[in-house]
Amino acid sequence: MSKALIIDDEQQMRRLLRMVLESRGYEVCEAAEGQLGLQEAAFQRPDVVLLDLGLPGLGGIEVLKRLREWSDVPVLILSVRDHETVKIEALELGADDYVTKPFGTGELLARLDVIQRRRFTRQNPQIVAGALVLDLLHHEARLGDELLKLTPTEFALLKVLAEHAGRIVTQNQIAKQVWAGQSSDPSEGLRVHINHLRKKLGESGPRIVNEPGIGYRLNAD
Amino acid sequence: MNDPSKPRKPVPVPAAVVGQFSWGLTILFVLASTCWVLLPYTGYLFSALVFLMAIVLAGTRWNRGPVLAMAAVSALVWNFIFIPPQFTLHIEKPQDITMFAMFFVVALSMGHLITRLREREAALEQTHREREELLAEKHRAELLAESERLHRTLLDSVSHELKTPIAIIRTALDGLGQGNPYAAEIETANRRLQRIVENFLEMTRVESEALKPRPDWCEVVDVLEQAMKPISHELALHVVNIRGVAEMPLVMLDSRLLAQVLGNVLHNATLYTPAGSEIEIFAALKDGALELRVRDHGPGLPPGKEGRVFDKFYRAPDSPAGGTGLGLAIARGLMRAMKGDIEARNHPTGGAEFVLRLPVKSRNPS
Repeated sequence: MSKALIIDDEQQMRRLLRMVLESRGYEVCEAAEGQLGLQEAAFQRPDVVLLDLGLPGLGGIEVLKRLREWSDVPVLILSVRDHETVKIEALELGADDYVTKPFGTGELLARLDVIQRRRFTRQNPQIVAGALVLDLLHHEARLGDELLKLTPTEFALLKVLAEHAGRIVTQNQIAKQVWAGQSSDPSEGLRVHINHLRKKLGESGPRIVNEPGIGYRLNAD
Repeated sequence: MNDPSKPRKPVPVPAAVVGQFSWGLTILFVLASTCWVLLPYTGYLFSALVFLMAIVLAGTRWNRGPVLAMAAVSALVWNFIFIPPQFTLHIEKPQDITMFAMFFVVALSMGHLITRLREREAALEQTHREREELLAEKHRAELLAESERLHRTLLDSVSHELKTPIAIIRTALDGLGQGNPYAAEIETANRRLQRIVENFLEMTRVESEALKPRPDWCEVVDVLEQAMKPISHELALHVVNIRGVAEMPLVMLDSRLLAQVLGNVLHNATLYTPAGSEIEIFAALKDGALELRVRDHGPGLPPGKEGRVFDKFYRAPDSPAGGTGLGLAIARGLMRAMKGDIEARNHPTGGAEFVLRLPVKSRNPS
Protein backbone atom coordinates (compact mmCIF):
# COMPACT_ATOMS: atom_id res chain seq x y z
CA MET A 1 0.00 0.00 0.00
CA SER A 2 1.39 3.37 -1.02
CA LYS A 3 1.52 6.23 1.39
CA ALA A 4 0.70 9.70 0.04
CA LEU A 5 1.46 13.03 1.69
CA ILE A 6 -0.78 15.97 0.78
CA ILE A 7 0.67 19.43 1.38
CA ASP A 8 -2.08 21.97 0.68
CA ASP A 9 -3.40 24.88 2.69
CA GLU A 10 -7.02 24.38 1.59
CA GLN A 11 -8.73 22.13 4.12
CA GLN A 12 -11.50 21.14 1.75
CA MET A 13 -9.02 20.25 -0.94
CA ARG A 14 -7.07 18.08 1.51
CA ARG A 15 -10.25 16.35 2.67
CA LEU A 16 -11.34 15.61 -0.90
CA LEU A 17 -7.92 14.43 -2.00
CA ARG A 18 -7.82 12.18 1.07
CA MET A 19 -11.17 10.64 0.07
CA VAL A 20 -10.06 10.15 -3.53
CA LEU A 21 -6.72 8.64 -2.56
CA GLU A 22 -8.10 6.43 0.21
CA SER A 23 -10.70 5.06 -2.16
CA ARG A 24 -7.75 4.00 -4.31
CA GLY A 25 -6.07 2.22 -1.44
CA TYR A 26 -3.58 4.92 -0.51
CA GLU A 27 -2.67 5.54 3.07
CA VAL A 28 -2.88 9.32 3.43
CA CYS A 29 -1.19 11.88 5.65
CA GLU A 30 -1.51 15.62 5.25
CA ALA A 31 -0.02 18.98 6.17
CA ALA A 32 -1.56 22.44 5.93
CA GLU A 33 1.69 24.32 5.47
CA GLY A 34 5.20 23.93 4.13
CA GLN A 35 7.22 23.54 7.29
CA LEU A 36 4.84 20.91 8.67
CA GLY A 37 4.85 19.23 5.29
CA LEU A 38 8.61 18.81 5.43
CA GLN A 39 8.36 17.34 8.95
CA GLU A 40 5.65 14.93 7.84
CA ALA A 41 7.78 13.92 4.85
CA ALA A 42 10.64 13.13 7.23
CA PHE A 43 8.54 11.23 9.78
CA GLN A 44 6.04 9.42 7.58
CA ARG A 45 8.38 8.61 4.67
CA PRO A 46 5.59 8.84 2.06
CA ASP A 47 5.84 7.07 -1.31
CA VAL A 48 4.49 10.10 -3.12
CA VAL A 49 3.96 13.78 -2.28
CA LEU A 50 1.16 16.02 -3.61
CA LEU A 51 2.44 19.56 -3.25
CA ASP A 52 0.41 22.73 -3.73
CA LEU A 53 2.54 25.56 -5.15
CA GLY A 54 0.49 28.39 -3.63
CA LEU A 55 1.27 27.72 0.03
CA PRO A 56 1.33 30.63 2.45
CA GLY A 57 4.54 31.13 4.40
CA LEU A 58 7.09 28.65 3.17
CA GLY A 59 6.06 28.42 -0.51
CA GLY A 60 5.75 25.27 -2.54
CA ILE A 61 8.98 25.91 -4.47
CA GLU A 62 10.93 26.35 -1.23
CA VAL A 63 9.41 23.17 0.22
CA LEU A 64 10.41 21.27 -2.90
CA LYS A 65 13.95 22.65 -2.74
CA ARG A 66 14.41 21.59 0.87
CA LEU A 67 12.75 18.23 0.31
CA ARG A 68 15.08 17.48 -2.58
CA GLU A 69 18.09 18.08 -0.36
CA TRP A 70 17.55 14.73 1.30
CA SER A 71 14.75 12.87 -0.48
CA ASP A 72 13.95 11.71 -4.00
CA VAL A 73 10.33 10.81 -3.25
CA PRO A 74 8.15 11.39 -6.34
CA VAL A 75 6.47 14.81 -6.15
CA LEU A 76 3.32 15.83 -8.00
CA ILE A 77 2.73 19.59 -8.16
CA LEU A 78 -0.81 20.94 -7.82
CA SER A 79 -1.13 24.44 -9.22
CA VAL A 80 -3.51 26.82 -10.89
CA ARG A 81 -3.06 27.82 -14.50
CA ASP A 82 -1.02 30.93 -15.40
CA HIS A 83 1.94 29.64 -13.43
CA GLU A 84 3.98 28.44 -16.39
CA THR A 85 7.31 29.82 -15.21
CA VAL A 86 6.76 28.52 -11.70
CA LYS A 87 5.83 25.11 -13.06
CA ILE A 88 9.05 24.99 -15.07
CA GLU A 89 11.01 26.05 -12.01
CA ALA A 90 9.39 23.28 -9.96
CA LEU A 91 10.01 20.64 -12.62
CA GLU A 92 13.62 21.65 -12.95
CA LEU A 93 14.05 21.58 -9.19
CA GLY A 94 13.05 17.94 -9.29
CA ALA A 95 9.24 17.79 -9.22
CA ASP A 96 8.09 14.80 -11.26
CA ASP A 97 4.96 16.22 -12.87
CA TYR A 98 2.10 18.62 -12.28
CA VAL A 99 -1.67 18.81 -12.58
CA THR A 100 -3.48 22.08 -13.08
CA LYS A 101 -6.40 23.01 -10.82
CA PRO A 102 -9.21 22.34 -11.47
CA PHE A 103 -8.11 18.84 -12.41
CA GLY A 104 -10.01 15.67 -13.18
CA THR A 105 -9.62 12.89 -10.67
CA GLY A 106 -8.74 10.45 -13.42
CA GLU A 107 -5.93 12.67 -14.61
CA LEU A 108 -4.61 13.07 -11.07
CA LEU A 109 -4.58 9.34 -10.36
CA ALA A 110 -2.96 8.55 -13.70
CA ARG A 111 -0.17 11.05 -13.03
CA LEU A 112 0.36 9.64 -9.55
CA ASP A 113 0.67 6.14 -10.98
CA VAL A 114 3.17 7.21 -13.61
CA ILE A 115 5.48 9.10 -11.29
CA GLN A 116 5.57 6.23 -8.80
CA ARG A 117 6.48 3.69 -11.44
CA ARG A 118 10.11 3.54 -10.51
CA ARG A 119 12.21 5.52 -12.84
CA PHE A 120 14.02 3.66 -15.52
CA THR A 121 16.83 1.55 -14.08
CA ARG A 122 20.23 1.57 -15.69
CA GLN A 123 20.67 -2.19 -15.41
CA ASN A 124 18.16 -2.71 -18.15
CA PRO A 125 19.41 -1.90 -21.66
CA GLN A 126 15.82 -1.69 -22.89
CA ILE A 127 13.20 0.99 -22.52
CA VAL A 128 9.62 -0.03 -23.19
CA ALA A 129 6.85 2.51 -23.61
CA GLY A 130 3.70 0.92 -24.95
CA ALA A 131 4.43 -0.49 -28.40
CA LEU A 132 7.73 1.36 -28.49
CA VAL A 133 10.92 -0.49 -27.53
CA LEU A 134 14.32 1.19 -27.39
CA ASP A 135 17.36 -1.08 -27.43
CA LEU A 136 20.12 1.02 -25.89
CA LEU A 137 22.77 -1.60 -26.59
CA HIS A 138 22.29 -1.54 -30.36
CA HIS A 139 20.81 1.94 -30.61
CA GLU A 140 17.68 0.59 -32.21
CA ALA A 141 14.10 1.67 -31.85
CA ARG A 142 11.19 -0.60 -32.69
CA LEU A 143 7.55 0.25 -32.95
CA GLY A 144 5.77 -3.08 -32.78
CA ASP A 145 7.64 -5.19 -35.33
CA GLU A 146 8.81 -2.26 -37.36
CA LEU A 147 12.38 -0.93 -37.03
CA LEU A 148 12.38 2.88 -36.92
CA LYS A 149 15.04 4.69 -38.91
CA LEU A 150 16.22 7.39 -36.54
CA THR A 151 19.17 9.76 -36.63
CA PRO A 152 21.40 9.71 -33.52
CA THR A 153 19.82 12.94 -32.28
CA GLU A 154 16.30 11.61 -32.80
CA PHE A 155 17.23 8.44 -30.95
CA ALA A 156 18.65 10.44 -28.03
CA LEU A 157 15.53 12.59 -27.95
CA LEU A 158 13.18 9.63 -28.05
CA LYS A 159 15.23 7.97 -25.31
CA VAL A 160 14.77 10.96 -22.97
CA LEU A 161 11.04 11.04 -23.64
CA ALA A 162 10.62 7.26 -23.31
CA GLU A 163 12.59 7.15 -20.06
CA HIS A 164 10.01 9.56 -18.70
CA ALA A 165 7.06 8.07 -20.59
CA GLY A 166 3.81 9.62 -19.40
CA ARG A 167 5.68 12.36 -17.58
CA ILE A 168 6.42 15.91 -18.62
CA VAL A 169 10.02 16.69 -19.56
CA THR A 170 10.93 20.37 -19.79
CA GLN A 171 12.65 21.80 -22.86
CA ASN A 172 15.72 22.52 -20.78
CA GLN A 173 15.91 19.00 -19.44
CA ILE A 174 15.67 17.62 -22.98
CA ALA A 175 18.23 20.08 -24.35
CA LYS A 176 20.65 19.26 -21.54
CA GLN A 177 20.48 15.52 -22.17
CA VAL A 178 20.35 15.56 -25.95
CA TRP A 179 22.60 18.48 -26.85
CA ALA A 180 24.55 18.83 -23.60
CA GLY A 181 24.25 22.59 -23.98
CA GLN A 182 26.08 22.58 -27.32
CA SER A 183 23.28 23.83 -29.52
CA SER A 184 22.99 27.58 -29.93
CA ASP A 185 19.21 27.50 -30.17
CA PRO A 186 18.04 24.21 -28.66
CA SER A 187 14.41 25.29 -28.93
CA GLU A 188 14.47 25.46 -32.72
CA GLY A 189 16.41 22.21 -33.08
CA LEU A 190 14.09 20.53 -30.63
CA ARG A 191 10.96 21.44 -32.63
CA VAL A 192 12.55 20.21 -35.83
CA HIS A 193 13.47 16.85 -34.34
CA ILE A 194 10.12 16.47 -32.56
CA ASN A 195 8.44 17.16 -35.89
CA HIS A 196 10.50 14.41 -37.57
CA LEU A 197 9.97 11.99 -34.69
CA ARG A 198 6.22 12.50 -34.79
CA LYS A 199 6.19 11.70 -38.50
CA LYS A 200 8.25 8.55 -37.92
CA LEU A 201 6.12 7.40 -35.00
CA GLY A 202 3.06 7.80 -37.21
CA GLU A 203 -0.56 8.03 -36.18
CA SER A 204 -0.89 4.77 -34.31
CA GLY A 205 2.27 4.84 -32.17
CA PRO A 206 2.95 6.70 -28.94
CA ARG A 207 2.07 10.38 -29.17
CA ILE A 208 4.45 13.21 -28.33
CA VAL A 209 2.28 15.83 -26.67
CA ASN A 210 3.39 19.43 -26.32
CA GLU A 211 2.68 21.39 -23.15
CA PRO A 212 3.02 24.99 -24.35
CA GLY A 213 5.90 26.87 -22.84
CA ILE A 214 6.90 23.89 -20.70
CA GLY A 215 7.96 20.84 -22.65
CA TYR A 216 6.89 17.48 -23.99
CA ARG A 217 5.26 14.32 -22.76
CA LEU A 218 5.35 10.92 -24.46
CA ASN A 219 1.94 9.29 -24.13
CA ALA A 220 2.47 5.60 -24.71
CA ASP A 221 -0.80 4.10 -23.59
CA MET B 1 27.90 63.42 -20.12
CA ASN B 2 30.06 66.38 -20.82
CA ASP B 3 30.99 66.67 -24.47
CA PRO B 4 34.52 68.07 -24.81
CA SER B 5 34.07 68.97 -28.48
CA LYS B 6 31.29 71.36 -27.60
CA PRO B 7 32.62 74.78 -26.57
CA ARG B 8 31.49 75.36 -23.04
CA LYS B 9 29.77 78.61 -22.37
CA PRO B 10 31.71 80.70 -19.84
CA VAL B 11 29.56 81.46 -16.88
CA PRO B 12 29.28 85.23 -17.12
CA VAL B 13 28.40 86.90 -13.87
CA PRO B 14 28.84 90.54 -15.02
CA ALA B 15 28.42 92.19 -11.61
CA ALA B 16 31.01 89.87 -10.04
CA VAL B 17 33.44 90.45 -12.93
CA VAL B 18 33.14 94.22 -12.62
CA GLY B 19 33.75 93.82 -8.88
CA GLN B 20 36.83 91.77 -9.61
CA PHE B 21 38.21 94.49 -11.93
CA SER B 22 37.77 97.24 -9.38
CA TRP B 23 39.13 95.10 -6.54
CA GLY B 24 42.14 94.20 -8.67
CA LEU B 25 42.90 97.84 -9.44
CA THR B 26 42.48 98.82 -5.78
CA ILE B 27 44.79 96.08 -4.60
CA LEU B 28 47.37 97.01 -7.21
CA PHE B 29 47.20 100.65 -6.15
CA VAL B 30 47.72 99.74 -2.49
CA LEU B 31 50.58 97.35 -3.32
CA ALA B 32 52.22 99.83 -5.66
CA SER B 33 52.08 102.59 -3.03
CA THR B 34 53.52 100.30 -0.35
CA CYS B 35 56.29 99.11 -2.64
CA TRP B 36 57.01 102.71 -3.60
CA VAL B 37 57.51 103.57 0.04
CA LEU B 38 59.64 100.48 0.61
CA LEU B 39 61.60 100.87 -2.64
CA PRO B 40 64.76 102.36 -1.03
CA TYR B 41 65.02 99.38 1.34
CA THR B 42 63.99 96.47 -0.87
CA GLY B 43 65.01 97.20 -4.43
CA TYR B 44 62.66 97.12 -7.44
CA LEU B 45 62.66 93.31 -7.89
CA PHE B 46 60.83 92.94 -4.56
CA SER B 47 57.87 94.87 -5.94
CA ALA B 48 57.77 92.59 -8.98
CA LEU B 49 57.49 89.57 -6.71
CA VAL B 50 54.73 91.22 -4.66
CA PHE B 51 52.77 91.95 -7.87
CA LEU B 52 53.27 88.37 -9.07
CA MET B 53 52.00 87.02 -5.76
CA ALA B 54 48.92 89.21 -6.05
CA ILE B 55 48.27 87.91 -9.59
CA VAL B 56 48.69 84.29 -8.50
CA LEU B 57 46.31 84.78 -5.58
CA ALA B 58 43.81 86.59 -7.78
CA GLY B 59 44.13 83.80 -10.34
CA THR B 60 43.01 81.19 -7.86
CA ARG B 61 39.71 82.95 -7.27
CA TRP B 62 38.87 85.23 -10.16
CA ASN B 63 37.95 84.95 -13.78
CA ARG B 64 40.53 85.01 -16.52
CA GLY B 65 39.67 88.55 -17.74
CA PRO B 66 40.31 90.49 -14.50
CA VAL B 67 43.45 88.44 -13.79
CA LEU B 68 44.87 89.18 -17.23
CA ALA B 69 44.02 92.84 -16.77
CA MET B 70 45.76 92.80 -13.41
CA ALA B 71 48.82 91.24 -15.02
CA ALA B 72 48.87 93.90 -17.75
CA VAL B 73 48.41 96.78 -15.32
CA SER B 74 51.01 95.49 -12.85
CA ALA B 75 53.50 94.88 -15.68
CA LEU B 76 53.04 98.44 -16.91
CA VAL B 77 53.12 100.00 -13.43
CA TRP B 78 56.19 98.02 -12.51
CA ASN B 79 57.88 98.91 -15.76
CA PHE B 80 56.94 102.60 -15.54
CA ILE B 81 57.50 103.30 -11.87
CA PHE B 82 60.01 100.75 -10.58
CA ILE B 83 62.38 99.66 -13.33
CA PRO B 84 65.29 102.04 -13.84
CA PRO B 85 65.23 104.24 -15.75
CA GLN B 86 62.12 105.17 -13.75
CA PHE B 87 59.08 106.88 -15.33
CA THR B 88 59.83 105.47 -18.76
CA LEU B 89 58.59 102.32 -20.44
CA HIS B 90 62.12 101.57 -21.48
CA ILE B 91 63.69 98.34 -20.18
CA GLU B 92 67.45 97.78 -20.28
CA LYS B 93 68.34 94.58 -18.49
CA PRO B 94 67.37 91.19 -20.01
CA GLN B 95 66.26 89.87 -16.58
CA ASP B 96 63.77 92.78 -16.34
CA ILE B 97 62.38 91.89 -19.76
CA THR B 98 62.04 88.31 -18.59
CA MET B 99 60.28 89.43 -15.43
CA PHE B 100 58.00 91.70 -17.49
CA ALA B 101 57.07 88.76 -19.71
CA MET B 102 56.69 86.61 -16.60
CA PHE B 103 53.66 88.64 -15.48
CA PHE B 104 51.79 87.56 -18.59
CA VAL B 105 53.06 83.97 -18.53
CA VAL B 106 51.93 83.57 -14.93
CA ALA B 107 48.59 85.25 -15.53
CA LEU B 108 47.89 83.19 -18.65
CA SER B 109 48.90 79.86 -17.19
CA MET B 110 47.02 80.56 -13.98
CA GLY B 111 44.00 81.52 -16.03
CA HIS B 112 44.32 78.39 -18.11
CA LEU B 113 44.70 76.12 -15.10
CA ILE B 114 41.84 77.70 -13.25
CA THR B 115 39.55 77.55 -16.26
CA ARG B 116 40.29 73.85 -16.67
CA LEU B 117 39.72 73.26 -13.01
CA ARG B 118 36.40 75.05 -13.13
CA GLU B 119 35.37 73.15 -16.24
CA ARG B 120 36.16 69.91 -14.54
CA GLU B 121 34.15 70.99 -11.53
CA ALA B 122 31.23 71.92 -13.75
CA ALA B 123 31.49 68.59 -15.58
CA LEU B 124 31.56 66.78 -12.27
CA GLU B 125 28.51 68.66 -11.16
CA GLN B 126 26.81 67.84 -14.45
CA THR B 127 27.62 64.14 -13.99
CA HIS B 128 26.33 64.34 -10.49
CA ARG B 129 23.10 65.91 -11.68
CA GLU B 130 22.74 63.31 -14.43
CA ARG B 131 23.32 60.55 -11.91
CA GLU B 132 20.67 62.00 -9.67
CA GLU B 133 18.25 62.15 -12.58
CA LEU B 134 19.10 58.56 -13.45
CA LEU B 135 18.55 57.53 -9.86
CA ALA B 136 15.23 59.31 -9.82
CA GLU B 137 14.25 57.54 -13.03
CA LYS B 138 15.30 54.20 -11.61
CA HIS B 139 13.27 54.93 -8.54
CA ARG B 140 10.23 55.68 -10.70
CA ALA B 141 10.77 52.43 -12.64
CA GLU B 142 11.03 50.53 -9.38
CA LEU B 143 7.81 52.07 -8.16
CA LEU B 144 6.13 51.06 -11.40
CA ALA B 145 7.50 47.52 -11.14
CA GLU B 146 6.35 47.42 -7.55
CA SER B 147 2.83 48.46 -8.51
CA GLU B 148 2.85 45.88 -11.31
CA ARG B 149 4.00 43.26 -8.84
CA LEU B 150 1.27 44.27 -6.43
CA HIS B 151 -1.26 44.08 -9.23
CA ARG B 152 -0.05 40.61 -10.15
CA THR B 153 -0.11 39.47 -6.54
CA LEU B 154 -3.66 40.73 -6.21
CA LEU B 155 -4.64 39.03 -9.46
CA ASP B 156 -2.94 35.83 -8.30
CA SER B 157 -4.73 35.82 -5.00
CA VAL B 158 -8.12 36.64 -6.54
CA SER B 159 -7.46 33.95 -9.11
CA HIS B 160 -6.60 31.48 -6.34
CA GLU B 161 -9.68 32.37 -4.33
CA LEU B 162 -12.02 32.00 -7.29
CA LYS B 163 -10.49 28.90 -8.76
CA THR B 164 -10.12 26.88 -5.57
CA PRO B 165 -13.86 26.39 -5.00
CA ILE B 166 -14.28 25.52 -8.68
CA ALA B 167 -11.52 22.95 -8.36
CA ILE B 168 -13.13 21.52 -5.23
CA ILE B 169 -16.52 21.22 -6.94
CA ARG B 170 -14.86 19.50 -9.87
CA THR B 171 -13.06 16.98 -7.68
CA ALA B 172 -16.17 16.36 -5.58
CA LEU B 173 -18.25 15.78 -8.73
CA ASP B 174 -15.69 13.29 -9.99
CA GLY B 175 -16.10 11.53 -6.64
CA LEU B 176 -19.89 11.30 -7.16
CA GLY B 177 -19.26 9.44 -10.37
CA GLN B 178 -21.02 9.46 -13.72
CA GLY B 179 -24.65 8.73 -14.26
CA ASN B 180 -26.31 11.14 -11.86
CA PRO B 181 -28.21 13.66 -14.00
CA TYR B 182 -28.14 16.28 -11.21
CA ALA B 183 -24.39 15.96 -10.92
CA ALA B 184 -24.12 16.35 -14.69
CA GLU B 185 -26.00 19.67 -14.45
CA ILE B 186 -23.70 20.88 -11.70
CA GLU B 187 -20.74 19.89 -13.79
CA THR B 188 -21.96 21.85 -16.80
CA ALA B 189 -22.60 24.89 -14.61
CA ASN B 190 -19.20 24.53 -12.97
CA ARG B 191 -17.47 24.39 -16.34
CA ARG B 192 -19.33 27.52 -17.34
CA LEU B 193 -18.35 29.22 -14.10
CA GLN B 194 -14.75 28.29 -14.63
CA ARG B 195 -14.88 29.75 -18.11
CA ILE B 196 -16.36 33.02 -16.84
CA VAL B 197 -13.78 33.33 -14.07
CA GLU B 198 -10.97 32.65 -16.47
CA ASN B 199 -12.35 35.17 -18.94
CA PHE B 200 -12.64 37.89 -16.31
CA LEU B 201 -9.12 37.25 -15.07
CA GLU B 202 -7.77 37.16 -18.59
CA MET B 203 -9.55 40.40 -19.50
CA THR B 204 -8.00 42.07 -16.46
CA ARG B 205 -4.62 40.77 -17.50
CA VAL B 206 -5.01 41.98 -21.09
CA GLU B 207 -6.17 45.42 -19.96
CA SER B 208 -3.48 45.87 -17.35
CA GLU B 209 -0.89 45.15 -20.06
CA ALA B 210 0.73 42.76 -17.61
CA LEU B 211 0.78 40.44 -20.55
CA LYS B 212 4.13 39.81 -22.20
CA PRO B 213 4.15 37.40 -25.14
CA ARG B 214 7.01 34.94 -25.02
CA PRO B 215 7.45 33.68 -28.58
CA ASP B 216 9.21 30.40 -29.18
CA TRP B 217 9.40 27.98 -32.08
CA CYS B 218 6.32 25.81 -32.23
CA GLU B 219 4.19 23.66 -34.45
CA VAL B 220 0.78 24.95 -35.47
CA VAL B 221 -0.69 21.52 -34.81
CA ASP B 222 0.27 21.92 -31.12
CA VAL B 223 -1.46 25.30 -30.99
CA LEU B 224 -4.61 23.74 -32.38
CA GLU B 225 -4.54 20.85 -29.98
CA GLN B 226 -4.01 23.19 -27.05
CA ALA B 227 -6.88 25.40 -28.24
CA MET B 228 -9.34 22.55 -28.63
CA LYS B 229 -8.56 20.55 -25.49
CA PRO B 230 -10.34 22.79 -22.95
CA ILE B 231 -13.50 22.98 -25.08
CA SER B 232 -13.58 19.36 -26.22
CA HIS B 233 -17.06 18.96 -24.65
CA GLU B 234 -18.50 21.78 -26.73
CA LEU B 235 -16.63 20.84 -29.91
CA ALA B 236 -17.84 17.26 -29.64
CA LEU B 237 -21.29 18.51 -30.73
CA HIS B 238 -19.86 19.80 -34.02
CA VAL B 239 -17.98 18.49 -37.00
CA VAL B 240 -14.54 20.07 -36.93
CA ASN B 241 -12.51 20.05 -40.14
CA ILE B 242 -8.91 21.21 -40.16
CA ARG B 243 -7.00 22.07 -43.33
CA GLY B 244 -3.50 23.22 -44.13
CA VAL B 245 -2.00 22.51 -40.72
CA ALA B 246 0.03 19.40 -41.58
CA GLU B 247 2.06 21.28 -44.23
CA MET B 248 2.90 24.17 -41.89
CA PRO B 249 6.56 25.01 -41.18
CA LEU B 250 7.72 25.78 -37.67
CA VAL B 251 6.61 29.24 -36.58
CA MET B 252 7.88 31.59 -33.92
CA LEU B 253 5.04 32.68 -31.64
CA ASP B 254 3.62 32.46 -28.12
CA SER B 255 1.66 29.25 -28.56
CA ARG B 256 -0.16 29.59 -25.25
CA LEU B 257 -1.62 32.98 -26.15
CA LEU B 258 -2.49 32.04 -29.70
CA ALA B 259 -4.12 28.82 -28.47
CA GLN B 260 -6.24 30.89 -26.13
CA VAL B 261 -7.32 33.22 -28.94
CA LEU B 262 -8.20 30.30 -31.18
CA GLY B 263 -9.95 28.55 -28.29
CA ASN B 264 -12.12 31.60 -27.62
CA VAL B 265 -13.03 31.95 -31.31
CA LEU B 266 -13.87 28.25 -31.55
CA HIS B 267 -15.90 28.37 -28.36
CA ASN B 268 -17.78 31.33 -29.75
CA ALA B 269 -18.53 29.32 -32.87
CA THR B 270 -19.90 26.43 -30.80
CA LEU B 271 -22.16 28.86 -28.90
CA TYR B 272 -23.73 30.52 -31.93
CA THR B 273 -24.15 27.69 -34.39
CA PRO B 274 -26.56 24.78 -34.29
CA ALA B 275 -25.33 21.46 -32.93
CA GLY B 276 -24.05 19.16 -35.64
CA SER B 277 -22.99 21.99 -37.95
CA GLU B 278 -19.52 22.10 -39.39
CA ILE B 279 -16.68 24.28 -38.08
CA GLU B 280 -13.74 24.66 -40.43
CA ILE B 281 -10.22 25.74 -39.56
CA PHE B 282 -7.81 26.79 -42.32
CA ALA B 283 -4.15 27.52 -41.70
CA ALA B 284 -1.88 29.27 -44.20
CA LEU B 285 1.32 31.27 -44.31
CA LYS B 286 0.93 34.52 -46.27
CA ASP B 287 3.49 37.32 -46.65
CA GLY B 288 5.38 36.42 -43.50
CA ALA B 289 2.21 36.11 -41.45
CA LEU B 290 0.40 33.10 -40.08
CA GLU B 291 -3.25 33.20 -41.05
CA LEU B 292 -5.79 31.09 -39.22
CA ARG B 293 -9.38 31.19 -40.47
CA VAL B 294 -12.27 29.80 -38.48
CA ARG B 295 -15.45 29.45 -40.46
CA ASP B 296 -18.75 28.29 -39.04
CA HIS B 297 -22.04 27.44 -40.73
CA GLY B 298 -24.35 29.29 -38.39
CA PRO B 299 -26.53 32.34 -38.95
CA GLY B 300 -23.52 34.67 -39.38
CA LEU B 301 -22.91 38.08 -37.85
CA PRO B 302 -25.30 41.08 -37.84
CA PRO B 303 -24.53 42.71 -41.21
CA GLY B 304 -22.68 46.01 -40.99
CA LYS B 305 -21.75 45.39 -37.36
CA GLU B 306 -19.28 42.55 -37.85
CA GLY B 307 -16.49 44.41 -36.03
CA ARG B 308 -18.60 45.04 -32.94
CA VAL B 309 -18.33 41.44 -31.81
CA PHE B 310 -14.87 42.32 -30.49
CA ASP B 311 -16.23 45.04 -28.19
CA LYS B 312 -16.14 44.26 -24.52
CA PHE B 313 -19.48 42.93 -23.21
CA TYR B 314 -21.02 43.12 -26.68
CA ARG B 315 -23.57 40.41 -27.22
CA ALA B 316 -25.29 39.95 -30.53
CA PRO B 317 -29.06 40.42 -30.49
CA ASP B 318 -30.91 37.16 -29.78
CA SER B 319 -27.75 35.52 -28.41
CA PRO B 320 -28.31 32.38 -26.43
CA ALA B 321 -28.20 32.77 -22.64
CA GLY B 322 -24.82 32.44 -21.01
CA GLY B 323 -21.56 33.99 -22.11
CA THR B 324 -20.06 37.19 -20.87
CA GLY B 325 -19.33 38.99 -24.10
CA LEU B 326 -15.66 38.85 -23.20
CA GLY B 327 -14.28 35.92 -25.20
CA LEU B 328 -13.77 37.77 -28.46
CA ALA B 329 -12.66 40.99 -26.73
CA ILE B 330 -9.94 38.94 -25.05
CA ALA B 331 -9.10 37.32 -28.37
CA ARG B 332 -8.54 40.70 -29.94
CA GLY B 333 -6.56 41.98 -26.93
CA LEU B 334 -4.29 38.96 -27.05
CA MET B 335 -3.79 39.20 -30.82
CA ARG B 336 -2.81 42.85 -30.50
CA ALA B 337 -0.49 42.10 -27.59
CA MET B 338 1.25 39.73 -30.02
CA LYS B 339 1.33 42.45 -32.74
CA GLY B 340 -1.23 40.61 -34.81
CA ASP B 341 -4.92 41.23 -35.43
CA ILE B 342 -8.25 39.51 -35.75
CA GLU B 343 -11.11 40.26 -38.08
CA ALA B 344 -14.69 39.06 -38.37
CA ARG B 345 -16.81 38.88 -41.51
CA ASN B 346 -19.68 37.02 -43.05
CA HIS B 347 -18.71 34.39 -45.56
CA PRO B 348 -20.24 35.00 -49.02
CA THR B 349 -21.89 31.59 -48.90
CA GLY B 350 -23.13 31.91 -45.32
CA GLY B 351 -21.80 31.58 -41.82
CA ALA B 352 -19.32 33.71 -39.93
CA GLU B 353 -15.61 33.73 -40.61
CA PHE B 354 -12.91 34.89 -38.19
CA VAL B 355 -9.45 35.63 -39.54
CA LEU B 356 -6.48 35.65 -37.20
CA ARG B 357 -3.34 37.19 -38.66
CA LEU B 358 0.00 37.12 -36.89
CA PRO B 359 3.37 38.15 -38.35
CA VAL B 360 5.76 35.27 -37.66
CA LYS B 361 9.20 34.00 -38.46
CA SER B 362 8.95 30.56 -40.00
CA ARG B 363 11.29 27.73 -40.77
CA ASN B 364 10.89 24.53 -42.73
CA PRO B 365 11.62 21.51 -40.55
CA SER B 366 13.08 19.36 -43.32
